[in-house]
Amino acid sequence: MSGRRILGRDLSVLAVLAVIALALPAWVNEFGVSMALTCLMYVALSSSWSLFCGATRYLSLATSAFFGIGAYAGALTLGELPWLAAIALGAGAAAALAVVMGSAVLHLRGTYFAVLTFGMTELIRHAVTFAEKQIAGTVGRVLVFVPEPGTVYLTVLALAVLAVVTSIAVRRSRLGLALAGIGGDELRAQTLGVDTRRAKVIGFAISAAFAGAVGAAMSVRWTYIDPATVFNPFIGFQTVLIALIGGAATLWGPLVAAIVFSVLAEALRLQLPQLYMMALGLLLILSVLYLPGGLASLRPGILIGWRDALLARRPARRAGAGKVRDA
Amino acid sequence: MSFGAWLELIASGLITGGVYALVALGLNLQYGLMRILNIAHGEFLMLGAFAAWLAYTYLGVSPLLTAPIVFVLMVVLGLLIHRLAFRRLAATSPDLDVFEARGLMVAFGLMFLVQNFASLVWGGELRGYDYLTDPVSVGGAQFAANKLLLAAVALAVSVALIVVLRRSLLGKGVRALMQSPVGAQLVGIDTARLHPLMFGIGLGLSGLAGSLLSMTYAISPAIGEPYTVTALIVITLGGFGSMTGSLVAALALGVIEALGTHFGSPSLKPLLSYGLFIAVLLWKPNGLFKR
Repeated sequence: MSGRRILGRDLSVLAVLAVIALALPAWVNEFGVSMALTCLMYVALSSSWSLFCGATRYLSLATSAFFGIGAYAGALTLGELPWLAAIALGAGAAAALAVVMGSAVLHLRGTYFAVLTFGMTELIRHAVTFAEKQIAGTVGRVLVFVPEPGTVYLTVLALAVLAVVTSIAVRRSRLGLALAGIGGDELRAQTLGVDTRRAKVIGFAISAAFAGAVGAAMSVRWTYIDPATVFNPFIGFQTVLIALIGGAATLWGPLVAAIVFSVLAEALRLQLPQLYMMALGLLLILSVLYLPGGLASLRPGILIGWRDALLARRPARRAGAGKVRDA
Repeated sequence: MSFGAWLELIASGLITGGVYALVALGLNLQYGLMRILNIAHGEFLMLGAFAAWLAYTYLGVSPLLTAPIVFVLMVVLGLLIHRLAFRRLAATSPDLDVFEARGLMVAFGLMFLVQNFASLVWGGELRGYDYLTDPVSVGGAQFAANKLLLAAVALAVSVALIVVLRRSLLGKGVRALMQSPVGAQLVGIDTARLHPLMFGIGLGLSGLAGSLLSMTYAISPAIGEPYTVTALIVITLGGFGSMTGSLVAALALGVIEALGTHFGSPSLKPLLSYGLFIAVLLWKPNGLFKR
């Protein structure tokens, strides 16, 4: 398929999905709308996470830091600023944080990067908690100026669509090629003249801006925010898990996984929330072991490969034992 | 401050430091030896703590008796996890970096699995029991007997482990593997046997620490995660693969936290340890005790 036809296909699929999401509140009850809102939130979060982390294979665990900073920036200014300006402020604050954080840690790869982003996220959470307790003298804040639930839904929908559109656009741009090059072989990309540092910081900031905007939009839904809710590490972990299980290197993998898992989460939330988390953990392990490219990489050939591996298990073990003896 | 108060403060830092050492040594075995950054490490501490609590509350068994049993059970569990997940991962990963990244994700999955399993079975509330709570006076300072016991056992096991790794043939093999995996295999060290065993012992130490500390602290399914982070901080401070470094760093961190909590405020403690962690990782990624 040519590049233009893929673009046309991706955009039309997205348009159909967006229209369905737009029409949804008219058909379903309040529970359905809240479920759809969660889906949209995770679509935006996991698509924007994959935009940077899937392409470059840098495992960032800082999503909840960006989400929380966005939520606080939005919540603190909501009284003075109009709704959209508060959202933009949330995005800007998160992007600024990402630039600072990225400049400090993006030269480190692999586990170091993952662990450092996690450590910084926790540091920010504890710092905000400390500041709230010592300086402001409160634990959390009650949001007084709250927009209509319909506005929140439309905003998060727009952010989700924008996240996917940005993913499509970045994939087709020089920045996207640079990011993919970094994921393939960073040293080679650098040798070929890619300003890897700049590309990484820009990519990281774009991905953070979405998390911040979603944080600002979702904070009003809780009407009361405190560091433990908005910096909840599980929002970040869940985003990463969803993207990885869906296939972080692909465009549609994270989106499909976000919808499936959010529906599952909301359905199980009231009765058995732990069971959902356990399933998520188990699925992550299984997908890393047997399907490293995520669910989006599932093809008939892989299934046949699994069957053959299962059938060939016994003889292979015997052959393997013989090899060890020979050596 | 009087001499007794200072003693009490430093000693309470050393007591927590002893627990940190036990947890960190286990993580360091896993990461230093086979590059498995087991982010689920603290969850096995939590399982050990719940095992000791169950045994004491329902059967009246002393935690000191439960601790070695928990150690053995956790070693077996570790062997099983290694067999099911990490062996395949090592066989299918093209290089060590990919193995490390995938291993981290598998460990993430394990963390979700174990932590939520515990909260499904036991619920989220804090639990505890009273065991040897009588105060003991040492040189003008007062300590709960169970805290002293906890520190003594944790330090004894840590030192014993370091001595075993230094002196025995097994330890020589482990150290050789840490220095150069390929070289160690060339001189006939069997990684296929040593890796699962050391992974198991790592989990065993975590479980042991958990069942010991359930004597003194309240437990819940969420207690594991902070210990994982602390262990990470300790092994970065002490240097990946350096056991003595871990012991020194653990005791130092315990004392720093005790001082920070005493002279600052208790909510400063996480800020202090995370700040230290990030600073060390950024400036000295190979640890403070490595050249």
